[in-house]
Amino acid sequence: MTEGRGYQRMKAQSSLKDILAVATEFERTARDFYADLAPKVSKQIRYLVEELAEEEQRHFDLFTQLQSRADIEEMLQEQVDTPASDGRFSDCIHLPELGDKPDDQAVLQYALGREHAAMEQYHSLAESTAPGPIHDLFKFLAAEETQHKAELEKIYYEVVHSGGV
Amino acid sequence: MSVRDLLSPFTAWKNLFREPVSIKDPFNRPASERYRGFHKNDSEKCIGCGTCEAICQNGAIDMLPADGVATQPGDSGLRPRIDYGRCCWCALCVDVCMTGSLTMSNEYKWVEADPDKFRFMPGVDKKHWDDYEDGYRRPDGHRLNAPERIDMPELAPAQRIDSFVEMVTGYTVEQAQLEADRCVTCGICVATCPTHMAIPDYIRAIRDGDYERGLKLLYDSNPFSQICGKVCTRRCETTCAASHEGDPIAIRWLKRHITEQVPHERYREIIGAPGPATGRKIAIVGAGPAGMTAAFDLARAGHQVTVYESESHAGGMTRYGIPEYRLPSDTIQREIDLIVSMGVEMHYNTRVGTDISMQQLQQDNDAVILAIGLWMGRSTRIPGSDHANVFKAVDLLRRIRDGEAIEAPKSLVVIGGGNVAMDIARSMARLQKQQHGEIAVTLTALEDKAHFLADPVEIKESIEEQIHILDSRGPQECVIGDQGGLVGLRTWKVLSIFDEQHRFAPSYDENDEQLHKGEWVIEAIGQMSDVSLLGEELTEQLEWNRGRLQVDDDGRTSESWLWAAGDCVKGPDVVTAVATGHKVAASIEAVFAQQEAQT
Repeated sequence: MTEGRGYQRMKAQSSLKDILAVATEFERTARDFYADLAPKVSKQIRYLVEELAEEEQRHFDLFTQLQSRADIEEMLQEQVDTPASDGRFSDCIHLPELGDKPDDQAVLQYALGREHAAMEQYHSLAESTAPGPIHDLFKFLAAEETQHKAELEKIYYEVVHSGGV
Repeated sequence: MSVRDLLSPFTAWKNLFREPVSIKDPFNRPASERYRGFHKNDSEKCIGCGTCEAICQNGAIDMLPADGVATQPGDSGLRPRIDYGRCCWCALCVDVCMTGSLTMSNEYKWVEADPDKFRFMPGVDKKHWDDYEDGYRRPDGHRLNAPERIDMPELAPAQRIDSFVEMVTGYTVEQAQLEADRCVTCGICVATCPTHMAIPDYIRAIRDGDYERGLKLLYDSNPFSQICGKVCTRRCETTCAASHEGDPIAIRWLKRHITEQVPHERYREIIGAPGPATGRKIAIVGAGPAGMTAAFDLARAGHQVTVYESESHAGGMTRYGIPEYRLPSDTIQREIDLIVSMGVEMHYNTRVGTDISMQQLQQDNDAVILAIGLWMGRSTRIPGSDHANVFKAVDLLRRIRDGEAIEAPKSLVVIGGGNVAMDIARSMARLQKQQHGEIAVTLTALEDKAHFLADPVEIKESIEEQIHILDSRGPQECVIGDQGGLVGLRTWKVLSIFDEQHRFAPSYDENDEQLHKGEWVIEAIGQMSDVSLLGEELTEQLEWNRGRLQVDDDGRTSESWLWAAGDCVKGPDVVTAVATGHKVAASIEAVFAQQEAQT
């Protein structure tokens, strides 16, 4: 664990800017992880890793655009209560050991874990902010992650529980 | 002439003062309550089975496509058109209607200038009597065919629980004919059968007592007829017209009955010998239902077929996945022997990818078929699931069928609610009974009992065999004790499995936690193909579709020399595997014909 992240964990509040920075990093590391993994896995399951990389890229773009918007610069300095889920969320920035040739189930389990942590994080942030643009932003992000998790769970059921075909 | 004769004509004058008997305005006279007037048909309830057409003695009914009515499983999409130039209002059509959709109003007046208007589709061509309450409908309890099926005799639970002896004993001729008599020969079932067996025709053969004709009909579309007669998933029965107001016809058991009535030594002569040799060579990887069906078709067409099988016997998952008490080995072997007798060359204990490469098969043959099944069990991968006493159901079933002496634990837990879960639970219960005299098998499934994937008959029989079934339990951990031994399975209550959009999204009540004690945990949650035999190069060359081999409608992969069929393409089901085996064989034949036309 890095000193910086430990310090962040102890803080009771973070600025929106910091939260978005962590979220952007969360998406970037995942995108790079999936992008690196794609050529290593069997072609049979490559679609899955490529789709995950695309999804993380979409989220990364969203956060990057948000951070660079001039109209919310003031808002970015606002302090937001750090939610209880922050630790789990930050842990997900660290990449897992899936081995050289992870199978579809291992990739899906990892992806589901990440989506769940992100969903909890944004839900908590939405709950800890007063109604307004920031609250709406977190609600939107939570809905995005919830939707993605639901899609992954559907794939998981089809792949693992339905005979694999 | 008498005076009386002269006066009698005038006696009629007395009627001038009587009330007229005839009705001055008959058009407003209501018919009696149960009068057999013009027909009504509830088009939503009608399945287009055509039984009304078949029974009509005057040829007054034709089954025709109707606007707004689509063909779908269990519904032909046709609706009856009635010709009132022929109808005699006998109401046999109403009495025989399998769904009760066809009735008669008590309307009897209909005036038209155009006589063609009197041919109409009740329920589709809207009429004012469609809403009439009165009229004729089949009285309750009045049936032209028996609503209840003839029960299949089988061993009682106490007789079967300590052995792997086949539990179903088969219909007698009398029982089979009674059951066959229930069929109205509508043929709705044919479209639902993946391999489109001639069901009404072979049932008719039973009624006629012509079993050799029945057997010929079976093997025209299904070289696994003996096996399907015992373990088919029988989708045909789910759409059977008789199921709307009674039990579906026992189609599977009638198929079995035919195969049992014809001496096995007569089979080959009835089915026919293969055609002359063509010089074409085909390799098939996997000797399960799909591979062997393709082998049967292609060998009968005169091609030289070689089947490569990694196990010591053919049959695939029918031999190594279905327990002996449901499907005895000798039944499988008879089926395989028949197919092999068509000139198929078998290479057992030969693993493609290790003993011979796919590239070699490509070089040596005109076509190659992959029919590799779903032999690898999936794991929940919950904590503790890597313990030595956590097994995959498909592996254990294979070991049991292979004759390996399995030392059954005194207690065990199965995870899963499908047929494989039931099969392993019931097999282990038999071993426990044999070895310990007692059964202690707990089966846990995510689904509630109403939504189990297993056949309801399997669930009923499992309960009869003392399997303790717990539904709506989500596995959380295979619990390991201080000494390193497996203690059991920890589960949470499942509140729901799917969200509003029917996506898999399990939610649990963490407060409702249970520990199901067991020395073993057996996972039966899903299966997958072992595609490692393809090798990295071919895996890269092939196109894939979301984890599966991509095939076209004919089962051909993106490599022109390679076809794929069976469970690895369509999921686990014997009769579907047979259907895909036929399909790839027909596709290869078409390609050969095309090649010959070009030369």
